Amino acid sequence: MIDLIATLQPLVVGAVLIWSARVKLVSTHAAAAANRSALARLVGQDRALPAYRLLGGMEVTLGGLLLLPPVLRAEALAATVLAVAFLGYLAYARRAAPTSSCGCLSARPTPVSGRSLARAGLLAVAGGLALLATEGWSTALAGRPPAGVGVLLVELAAVVALSPELDHVWLLPLRRLRARLTHPLRGGSGVPLLATVQQLQLSDAYRRVAPLLRSDVREHWDDGDWRFVGHAARYQGRLVTAVFAVPLTDREPDAVRVAVVDNATGHTLLSLAGTPPAAGPRLSVVPA
Amino acid sequence: MAALRGEVSWFCCGSAWGPCGTAGGGACGTCSSGNYQHAWPNTSDACLAITRPDRCGVTGMARRGCGFRHYTTNLCNGARVGTTIADCGPQTDLFCGERTCCGSACGSNRIIDLTPAAYSAIASLSAGLRPCSVDTV
Amino acid sequence: MNQTLDRRRLLATAALGGVVGATGLGSLAPEAAFAAEPATIDSGAPDPNFAEGRISKISGSMLLVTGSDTVLHSIRITDGTSIWKLHPTTFDKVAIGDGLYARGVRLPDGTLAADSVWLNIVNLHGHIAAVGRNVLHLDHQGRRIVAHVVPDRSAAVYNGTPAVSDLSLLRVGRHVQVLGAWHPDTNEVDIATVYAAA
Repeated sequence: MIDLIATLQPLVVGAVLIWSARVKLVSTHAAAAANRSALARLVGQDRALPAYRLLGGMEVTLGGLLLLPPVLRAEALAATVLAVAFLGYLAYARRAAPTSSCGCLSARPTPVSGRSLARAGLLAVAGGLALLATEGWSTALAGRPPAGVGVLLVELAAVVALSPELDHVWLLPLRRLRARLTHPLRGGSGVPLLATVQQLQLSDAYRRVAPLLRSDVREHWDDGDWRFVGHAARYQGRLVTAVFAVPLTDREPDAVRVAVVDNATGHTLLSLAGTPPAAGPRLSVVPA
Repeated sequence: MAALRGEVSWFCCGSAWGPCGTAGGGACGTCSSGNYQHAWPNTSDACLAITRPDRCGVTGMARRGCGFRHYTTNLCNGARVGTTIADCGPQTDLFCGERTCCGSACGSNRIIDLTPAAYSAIASLSAGLRPCSVDTV
Repeated sequence: MNQTLDRRRLLATAALGGVVGATGLGSLAPEAAFAAEPATIDSGAPDPNFAEGRISKISGSMLLVTGSDTVLHSIRITDGTSIWKLHPTTFDKVAIGDGLYARGVRLPDGTLAADSVWLNIVNLHGHIAAVGRNVLHLDHQGRRIVAHVVPDRSAAVYNGTPAVSDLSLLRVGRHVQVLGAWHPDTNEVDIATVYAAA
C-alpha cells in the first residue's frame, strides 16, 4: 500500500503546485495578493510582485515535471525542498507579519493560519514520500484503480480541509445552512438605543444643539411614547443638561424636542420644539 | 482637492490594550491612538489595491503619503479636526453604497478612519460612523 | 433613587415643553443661541485633552490610568461625565483593569476632567467565520475573535438602515464592523453595534 501511496505523491504534489501557481501567474489580482503577503515585508514592496511571479514560475515548472514522465528522484527532492522552504516562509510570515495574507492558493486575503502550516507540512511529507516512488503514477493508478482513486480522494479532501482559501466553497455554505436551520442569532426585541440616537441625529433640534454637547449619552430612559436622552453640555458658560425627547416607536425626526436645563438651578434655559416643516421658521425658540 | 464627502469611522493603532494590541504603528509606522492621525485609502498602489474606493464609484481621492494633513468635518455638528496620515485604510469596497445621515447632510462610502483621539474630538466613539467631509485646507 | 426620578421628571417636563417661569432669556435667534464656544482643533501630535490606557487604581472619583505609552493619567469623573461600557452606564461599573479612552479638559494640575469616558470600547472589522448561539466568531486580521450578542443591548445596522435589535440577518462569510466592549479577562467582545454591508 505504501508503494502505491508513494507512487501517487508526484501527482498530488504536482497538481497542488500547478493550482498554486495559477493565482501567482494568471490571476488579475496577483499584484494585490503579492502586496498583501509577507513577501512585501520580506523582499520589499517593489519586489513583492516579481518575487511572487518567480515563485509561481518555479511552482508551475516543478509541478509540470512531477506530473509528466519520467519519474525522477531529483524532482521529488526539489518539491520537498520547496515545500519545506515554504513551510519556513509561512512560519516567518505568521511571526513577523501576522496580519499579512498567505497568498498561497488563492488571491483572496487569507491570513496564515495553523491550517496553512499543516498543509505545507502535508506537502513536505508528500514530497518526501514521492522520493520512494519507483514507477510512474499513471502506471500505478492503472494497475490498482479503486485503491489509487481512494488514496487521491483522501489526500484531496485533506488539502481542501486544510485550505482556508476554499472555506467559502464548502465550509461557509455548511455553516450558513446550519444557521438557517437553527437561527442562533436572536438579539433582542424593542428599540435599541442606537436607533433612538440615529433618529435624534436626523433631527434639526440635534443639529442646532450639537455644538453645545460636551459628553456622549449620559443617561436615557423611557416614559410612555418617548425616550429621553441626556447629554452634558455647556451653554453660555454654564454647566447644563441637554435632554432630548425622541418618539420611541415612530420614526419622526421632526418630532424630536430638546431642552437645555441648568444643572445648578434646574431652570430650562432654552427649548426647541419640533415644528411642522414647510413655511415659516423651521424651529421656534421657546423662551422658557 | 475639492472637499470629499463620505463616512468617517475610527480605528486604534500603536501599542494599546485589548484586540488593538496587535495593530502596531500602521503602514507608516507612526500611528498611535492618542495622536491626531488618520488612515487614508490611497497612500500607495499597494494600499489602493486593498481599499479599492473606485469599486464604489468614489473618485477624487488623491494619492497622499504618510504625514500628509487632511481636515475632517463631522457633518452632524460642524466640528473639524486636522490629522496626518499614519496608515492605509479604510477598506472602502467592503461597504460600497453605505450611507449615513445627520439631518439632510449625508455621506456615502467610507473614505477615512480617524484615531480615537481625533474621532472623539468631533464625535462620540460609541457612534462608530458619521457623515463627514474631508479637505486639505 | 427618588432624586434620580425627580431629576428625570424635571428633565422630561422641560424637554416636552411644559415648564414655565424659568429664566427669561428672551427671544434669542437660534443661530445666536447656539453659536457655541467653538472648538478649533488642529494638530498632528498627541492631544492633552484625551487619554488612553488601562485603569490601575480607582480612588474616590479619580481614575488612575496607565497609558499604553506608560504615561500616567489622573482622570476625574464628574456629575457631567458620560460613562460608556457597552451602553451608557454609571461610575460603579468602572473596574480596575478596564481599558479606556477619555476626553475632557486638562486642568492646570495635570488632571483630566472627563466629559466622556469609553470603557473597553473596540471597533473591529472582520469576516463572520461562524455563528453560534448568540455568538459571532470573527476573523479579524488573522485572529479569531469571539463576539457575544447581548439581548436587548446589541443592535445591527444593515447597510446604513436604522438600527434594529434583530441580528438574524447577519450571514456567515460577510464582512462586518463590530463596535463593542472588550472583556479584559477573556479577550472576548460584547456587541454594541454590528454594521453589516449589503
